Amino acid sequence: MGFDGGIILRHLPELSAGLRLTLLLAVVALLVGTALGFFGCLGKLLGRGLLFWIASIYVTVMRGVPEMVVMFWIYYCGPLVLGAKLSSFAAAATAMSLFAGAHLAEIFRAGILAVPRGQSEAARALGLPIFSQWVEIVLPQALRMMIPPFIGLVTLVIKISGLASAIGVAELVYEASIVSGQTYRYFELFSAVGVLYFLIIFPLSLTAQRYERVLARRSR
Amino acid sequence: MTGLHPLTHKPGGRRFDSGDLASLVLGLALVGGIAAMIDWKFVRSLDFVVVVDYWQPLLKGALTTLFVTAAALVVGLALGIVIAILLQLPLGPLRWLLLLYVELWRNTPLIVQLFWIHFGLPVVTGVSPTALESGLLALTLQSSAYLADIARAGIQAVPRGQWQAGRALGLPTASLWLEVVLPQALKIMIPPFANLALSFLNGSALLGLIQVGELMTVATKISDYTFKPIEIMTAVGALYLVLNLVVGRLAHWLELATRTPR
Repeated sequence: MGFDGGIILRHLPELSAGLRLTLLLAVVALLVGTALGFFGCLGKLLGRGLLFWIASIYVTVMRGVPEMVVMFWIYYCGPLVLGAKLSSFAAAATAMSLFAGAHLAEIFRAGILAVPRGQSEAARALGLPIFSQWVEIVLPQALRMMIPPFIGLVTLVIKISGLASAIGVAELVYEASIVSGQTYRYFELFSAVGVLYFLIIFPLSLTAQRYERVLARRSR
Repeated sequence: MTGLHPLTHKPGGRRFDSGDLASLVLGLALVGGIAAMIDWKFVRSLDFVVVVDYWQPLLKGALTTLFVTAAALVVGLALGIVIAILLQLPLGPLRWLLLLYVELWRNTPLIVQLFWIHFGLPVVTGVSPTALESGLLALTLQSSAYLADIARAGIQAVPRGQWQAGRALGLPTASLWLEVVLPQALKIMIPPFANLALSFLNGSALLGLIQVGELMTVATKISDYTFKPIEIMTAVGALYLVLNLVVGRLAHWLELATRTPR
């Protein structure tokens, strides 16, 4: 059985539909995750007592439990909250958002804590109002430091979206499994899908690395 | 007003102020909101006895998870160090192949690698590995790529003076690597290695998709058999969390224990 590249071209419509869903999942997870991460970070940095514990437990649990378990759990536990089973896409998107949110909370927090204390102390000593202390001094520096880990998380979320195939979301891995199951061309299809993921993820990784080097040079 | 820097936000032994009040109100609202959304009748109908009934296979699955992760990491570490050393040498085109290997495994999803190895390769090679072999192979190859990168960074972080001193003392290349550079590089590699170990511990749950026999495989089998997916998944999630926290603690302890006193 030789390598049949034509099989990929013949099933391009299925694969591109899968790719669209993969990207949609990633975008939804990143958008909702950014909001969750924002609140998670606020809760861990500024929250006290109960609020701090809620944020900490959320971050620890979502970072400590495998994404697959979370995905299955949310898929099965829909009735617990909504009284109805979630669609597989909704379950996957929810699980991925929770996952991204927990990681982003830590990325945001690390970025803010990485701004040298002297910066905020100087801002306070100059009598800047608290709003400008944050918006003009701390956040611009923190945001710059968050860029490489944020891009790293984007690649992680794209990689994790493949797990959604396990609960039946028709994304890229799912489509490849279905097509290769019908044609028995596993090698061709998974090679193609692998290359496709690589073409999306590798440029992102490179950008993150470049930017990290820029930051390292600047801080020297 | 509260202090500006988050680090200054947690002074101990002070009076309950407006910030504490706001935190408490928000926290209670969150807990209340979640509690109101949950269907408690449904929660009461859950039957966690099933977890106790199946504790033996679950324990066996957890041990298999630990074994698979540890094996992949140990072999991956050896491979990764070799790749990192090879990358330091002027090898011409071989260097590019090694870089391609590392970047390919690092920049594609594990699930695709797993299916490629388990379903794709046998069609080409004619050899059908068992699920465990495929799972181990996929995890090991991916960890070798990540560890090659970690080892490269570790080797580069060894101060130049160490190399120069080793050469000045006339050490042969082998002992320069084995006795001077690598021991220091390994110590530098501990924190990123620990992070990788934790992500592989969780990543190994993916092997459940091809029924490798680790915790996730056991969990899906039991939940299909007993029709109690919620109870099983909750327990298994908790089990993974505990494993994760314990391994994280151990790694932290190792990091402290090997820290060079200054």
